[in-house]
Amino acid sequence: MQKVGLGIIGLGYIGKLHLKHSLKLPNVNLVAVSDLSKRALKEAKNAGIKKTFTNYEQLLHEPNIDAVIIALPTHLHLQCAIQAAEAGKHIFLEKPIARNPEEAKGIVTAAHKNSVKLMMGYPLRFNKSFRELKTKMESGTLGDVEIAYATFISSGPFFHRAESHTPLPVPKWWFNRDLTGGGALIDVGSHIINLFRWYFGEITHIKSHLGYRFNLDFEDSAICFAKFESGTTAVITAGWFLQGYQLKVEFFGTVDHAFAQHRPSNRLVAATQMLTTGMSDFHRPHFDELHYFANCLLKDSSPSPTGEDGLKDLEAICQAYQNSICLD
Amino acid sequence: MSLVSFVKIQEDTINSFKKAIIDSLDLIGYSFTKGTENVVIKPNMCYYWDYTTGETTDPRFVAALIEVIREKFSPRTNISIVESDASAMKCKYAFKMLGYEKLSQDYKVNLVNLSEDTTKTVEAYAGGYKLKLQIPQTIQNADLKINIPKIKYSVPKVKMTCALKNIFGCNPYAKKFKYHSRIGEVIVAINKALKFDLCIMDGNIVSGVQPRRLGLLMASKDPVAIDAAAAKIAGINPKTIRYLQLAAKEGLGTTKFIQKGIPIDYFKAMYPRKGIQNKLMKQAYELIVTMGLNKKLGLP
Repeated sequence: MQKVGLGIIGLGYIGKLHLKHSLKLPNVNLVAVSDLSKRALKEAKNAGIKKTFTNYEQLLHEPNIDAVIIALPTHLHLQCAIQAAEAGKHIFLEKPIARNPEEAKGIVTAAHKNSVKLMMGYPLRFNKSFRELKTKMESGTLGDVEIAYATFISSGPFFHRAESHTPLPVPKWWFNRDLTGGGALIDVGSHIINLFRWYFGEITHIKSHLGYRFNLDFEDSAICFAKFESGTTAVITAGWFLQGYQLKVEFFGTVDHAFAQHRPSNRLVAATQMLTTGMSDFHRPHFDELHYFANCLLKDSSPSPTGEDGLKDLEAICQAYQNSICLD
Repeated sequence: MSLVSFVKIQEDTINSFKKAIIDSLDLIGYSFTKGTENVVIKPNMCYYWDYTTGETTDPRFVAALIEVIREKFSPRTNISIVESDASAMKCKYAFKMLGYEKLSQDYKVNLVNLSEDTTKTVEAYAGGYKLKLQIPQTIQNADLKINIPKIKYSVPKVKMTCALKNIFGCNPYAKKFKYHSRIGEVIVAINKALKFDLCIMDGNIVSGVQPRRLGLLMASKDPVAIDAAAAKIAGINPKTIRYLQLAAKEGLGTTKFIQKGIPIDYFKAMYPRKGIQNKLMKQAYELIVTMGLNKKLGLP
């Protein structure tokens, strides 16, 4: 079988997950990885990756690499994506696309200019329940979806207490708004904005209320009110304050009501799933999106969600930040 | 035997905390020494989990204690709230996120990151273990040191933590995981070196197997006694907690205590203890860890 030569840039939480999945994908040959952490590179070597780099520019020079996954902190996306595009590598870029629309436009332009494919990492589009919900909506069984609710509330970059008695440190960049572009809304809210744009089309109006429970200079909660081209009004709730993980979508149509959710299994169930299928259900959408990306490259088709999607998501988020209302 | 008081916090307000603090100190016959100028308060900060999780001291509880101290001594009493960086927690962010930065501004108290404080090196001993410890100046200069811990279940080796373990957080060295192989000895050695004067346990919300509003306040001058009481509330026999036995042996206090106030059984009945289901799940998961499958499966 023909395989895509892949490189992974950044081995933080999500980069490590992509590494694990890439090794299992039948249509991917993971050639090299790069990260500043020598420990992460050692782990990658132990997992069977022959080429590891502390400088991603060296990885971009690898002739056997067709595409790269960019899983770096958000402030590094622009420079890395431009360099990858100029090196002729297709790009799978983790969300959010960038810190602001100007940077996002730079990334989209670089991909076009260098004729490389650019796909955004939004795994919810590959979640079975959320796909079924789209099919149901499009079949007309719900009627017109008048009101949609979405909740994505978790502990964000922080460990929650059920995860471990000994949590790991939070990388410093997460605490700096200048490096992230925002808080819970741009981080977990971007997943929902993207998902709802897939369901309902473009956002015509958006407002938000932002919460600052943890006294940081970025929001740890956001409630957005959005109007879509389809006429649907949505309430999108994003948060980083929960000792747990809740991701739910609920539609109220003129004919029927429907909902979908994505939730982690407890550790024992996850362990059983890993032993029986090699993967927990929770992480399957990440695996499937990468499988799809590699297939698009092999078939020379355009992967979706695109860089333009990433840009539009970010524009909506920035508009929500600008149109924030204060209820205090 | 040492005295340990048990008081019910009636409401979730600073005034209610204040009343409970005063009542608990009266029950153990504690009186503030006149002439005290520098007070150190060590709350329990654990990662970035706020007080609603039961893992960290409620800043409103500390606010109530500050009010009590200033009423007993003088409005000008110099108060420092202390904590140190840990392997996964930076005080810079924890002070802000857990509400201590605001508390410091509102009450004009110092917020001290002990990891950035000037220190003096001492040697501390416990159970045949020698520990080189940096003692922060803020703690050296204090006339009165108050420990405000939380009751928590911990890793199997330690089982449960409360007052003694909270003082482990006064060690300015950030990468504290290096002590984990001799954690019991280190906890005891640090307590011997720093000797806090008073423990007031914030058990308004406790973590247990899941957070619950217990409304408990315990006070004692003896950290070993308060830990033994905390263990009983959490359903653990103090005799099975190794560091507690070591602490008693090393003269830090006694596990035998005289109860004052509300009977301990009242709080013991309400504490969110480990049930059979939790124990079975835990044992099954420990088996996975023992077999080394957790790493292979990418689980914590």
